[in-house]
Amino acid sequence: MKARKRERRTYAKPGGETYVFRLFVVGNESNSTQARGNLARLCEEHLKGRYQIETVDVLKDAAAAHKNNVLVTPTLILIKPFPKVTVFGNLSDTRQVLAALRLIGDE
Amino acid sequence: MKETEALVRALKTHQVDGIVGERHIMICRMKKVEEKLENSRDQVRALAARLQFLRESERTAVARELHDEFGQALTSLQLGLSWIACKVTPQQQPVQAKTRSLSALVTTMIQSVKRIAVELRPGVLDELGLVKTLQSEARAFEGHTGIRCRFQTNLGKATFDRAGSVSIFRIVQAALTNVSRHAQASRAAIALMKRNNDLMLTVNDNGKGITKKLAQSHNSLGIIGMRERALALDGTLTLRGSTGKGTTLAVRIPLSRMR
Repeated sequence: MKARKRERRTYAKPGGETYVFRLFVVGNESNSTQARGNLARLCEEHLKGRYQIETVDVLKDAAAAHKNNVLVTPTLILIKPFPKVTVFGNLSDTRQVLAALRLIGDE
Repeated sequence: MKETEALVRALKTHQVDGIVGERHIMICRMKKVEEKLENSRDQVRALAARLQFLRESERTAVARELHDEFGQALTSLQLGLSWIACKVTPQQQPVQAKTRSLSALVTTMIQSVKRIAVELRPGVLDELGLVKTLQSEARAFEGHTGIRCRFQTNLGKATFDRAGSVSIFRIVQAALTNVSRHAQASRAAIALMKRNNDLMLTVNDNGKGITKKLAQSHNSLGIIGMRERALALDGTLTLRGSTGKGTTLAVRIPLSRMR
């Protein structure tokens, strides 16, 4: 069976502003696994019901990484709402990630 | 700009596990590589500790052989020469002179054998313990080199485990060798102190002072050896020099590793 290139999870609530993320990871490497978990947790805590995460494994879909100018993994791209934001790393620094995603004010 | 800084930060903090190239995706397993490196260092340290143990055992065996076998044979030779000297008549003057010179040579050899045996394995370390041995080493160092050497301790009659004592003694020996060879010092001091739960050893001198480069050099085998001995006892070793003011070597070892 052909492996699915992308997994898509949608928790958007009708009427709310939906955040669309694209997370580029590489297999089950340590930082990629942490980034997946950290992003899911952040979204549940701060965007419950109004987020959409698209995870791209660059080992399976390198073209998507090139298309999005992804240089390293993990890389998180906030697609919507505009403007686009890129965050690098395993997303373990919650405050910094929330600030970058404009979910809390910059310090 | 902000994005570049964030990328650099992610790379520096090892939060990146893949680099996406035009044709290849390079997976960087920094943490695993670091763990492997640390394991490999631990193995090297364990090996070094084992080698030091074997070296000490070998030294003890050689010292015993030298003292018991060679020392005994030389003593017998000395007695034989004395017997010949007694039998020689005044008319056999050249034989008497030869016997006397041979006897003097054998005496020197006996002293040399004793000195080598003590250097290989200081018997006093087994008999009297670390503190007395270091006292005696300071006196011997002063006698050999003419460099004034003071020994200070707050340990009284405390006794330590054999392996730990040997390591401390060897560190002091190596440090004093460095003082006599390189420091151009007129005074040296050894201190062995109990501070809280640690044993602190310091050896300092008033010489020219070791340079930072030399203290950290990978070619300074004596320093590496001392550091390995301290590490094998879960301790630390620091070496600081100040131009014209001398060098201080400080070793800290948990007391729990010395008992």
